Amino acid sequence: MDRVLGAIADPTRRAILARLAESDARVTELASAFPISLNSVSKHVRKLEAAGLVRRDVRGRDHVLSLNAAPLSEAADWIAHYQRFWEESLAALDEFTTGKKPNRRSRK
Amino acid sequence: MNAVARVPTVQVRREIAAPAAELFDAFLDPDKLSVWMRPGDTSRTDARVDPRVGGAFEIVMHTPKGSVPHTGAYQEITRPRRLVFTWNSPYAGNHGSLVTVDFNPKGNSTEVVITHERLPSEEMATAHTGGWTSILERIAGIFAEVRAAG
Repeated sequence: MDRVLGAIADPTRRAILARLAESDARVTELASAFPISLNSVSKHVRKLEAAGLVRRDVRGRDHVLSLNAAPLSEAADWIAHYQRFWEESLAALDEFTTGKKPNRRSRK
Repeated sequence: MNAVARVPTVQVRREIAAPAAELFDAFLDPDKLSVWMRPGDTSRTDARVDPRVGGAFEIVMHTPKGSVPHTGAYQEITRPRRLVFTWNSPYAGNHGSLVTVDFNPKGNSTEVVITHERLPSEEMATAHTGGWTSILERIAGIFAEVRAAG
């Protein structure tokens, strides 16, 4: 998950992900969409690949990149896990301190 | 009033009909902690606490699937308003995350606000203030975009 977080900590890489969320793209297509060199784009893409966020499909001379959102869902799972963990803990704290069964409502 | 401009990662709040000091103490007293901190299918909790800044805690939650240790250290203890501690667990990947608990008095009640931020180790190494705070929100944003596109 660290790789995922590191990969998306950079604004250019987030923009690349957003672009690939629209449709698959060749590296050269990506490069033309950003005001940086092809070499820089390639470096960013390699980091995204290492994080498992981008897949590369070699079709003849073309390298077509596509988004793989699964690692992002791991991060989303972390959020969901702790959201629930703390909601349940606060409900239990309520019951413990007030001595009554609280309703399960909790505000976000 | 939440004047602090922070970007929450996980934030949960609940108004509880008890004084702030009582709730604050429930977080630092191991006997109390072991009674109330039993989220989900936790059947029993063991808590050891060294309640001073820099002091460590260990909270072991026993579940049908096994025992889950949670460890950390206190970074700020401002009774009865704010408690900040690091939080490590197998689920959190056993490296840093940070929990801030705010106790806001509201008449006879207290609003308890828990903010839990994941600290990616890669970012921590080079962290300057606030650099990592918005990262998880960005994930959520990207994730939403991805879903919208899919």
